[in-house]
Amino acid sequence: MKKILISGLIAGCILFVFSYGGLFLAIRFFPKLFTEYNNPLFNSDGSRDMLFYLHAFIFSFALSWFWDRFKGLFKGAFFLRGLEFGLVYSIIALLPVMWISFSALDITVAMVLSWFIYGVLQAITAGVVFAKVNP
Amino acid sequence: MLYKNIFCLYLLLVAPVTYVLPRQFSHTNERKKWIVSENSSLRVNGSTNVNQFTCDILAYERTDTLTVNQGKSDKEIILSGSISINIQSFNCHNGMMTRDLRKTLKEKQFPMLHIAFLSLNNLPELTVQPEPVTGMVDIEIAGVHKRFEVRYKISADEQKVIHLLGTRYINFSDFNLIAPKKLGGMIQTKDKLSVDFHLKIKSINY
Repeated sequence: MKKILISGLIAGCILFVFSYGGLFLAIRFFPKLFTEYNNPLFNSDGSRDMLFYLHAFIFSFALSWFWDRFKGLFKGAFFLRGLEFGLVYSIIALLPVMWISFSALDITVAMVLSWFIYGVLQAITAGVVFAKVNP
Repeated sequence: MLYKNIFCLYLLLVAPVTYVLPRQFSHTNERKKWIVSENSSLRVNGSTNVNQFTCDILAYERTDTLTVNQGKSDKEIILSGSISINIQSFNCHNGMMTRDLRKTLKEKQFPMLHIAFLSLNNLPELTVQPEPVTGMVDIEIAGVHKRFEVRYKISADEQKVIHLLGTRYINFSDFNLIAPKKLGGMIQTKDKLSVDFHLKIKSINY
């Protein structure tokens, strides 16, 4: 349990910096990609900002538990184990969620693709951290 | 010589009062009605940290009437009447932005925006050449009233249609509205908006 929490916390901190730092830089340097977020679908009054920024930790703790349960299935060097873990998560969880999101919400293909790629990179990063911290 | 001096004095003091001032008063004392025609327009310009947007109403859907009266001073003009704008008529040329603006302006709760015209500091002779004037308006958005001074340019074309072009900066916060922010505040709409309107008016004396 301790290993799950510690590796989840480490991955959460790393993802927090990478994810929101990357998002900040992407908005700064590629603003046109983000014009579609001016959409009533997205919360605009700031009441859920805390939840938004906690996402990196929720994601990391959940994946940390998942890693601890199934880490024996991933073989090889730590980077390959992390990569495979990230891809497995992306296919079994992220892809169906993106599919249903696109089919049900008024969002564009570019938006869904960017979320998918963002999620894959987050899951691979978390997987590499878990493979190193909790092999 | 005495008669000549008296005549000069008459020309200097009495003639302006008897000939010039009554003309001014007769001009300003007329009560008029201004009919705001349907093809008047309103444009709101704003920006976020990722783009700029323009939301407009290119054809005003209604015909409203403003009453024009002489104020206390020679030049001041008192206006009464207002125009009412349907929030649903705003078009931001992007479906998502249009819906976002409507949500920000609390369209479901307050479907109309009202601009009450209160005064003009002056009403110059109307010609094709636009003349600058200022005036007070009372704007009501999302149930909140706020009084502003607006700078206008006023002119009249050959068909005697009066063109009143107004411009004014307003803030979302003036009306207790929160400028939208997305993705935890990473995409932020600026509080300041520029509002431009072009009223096309037909004047009726009564």
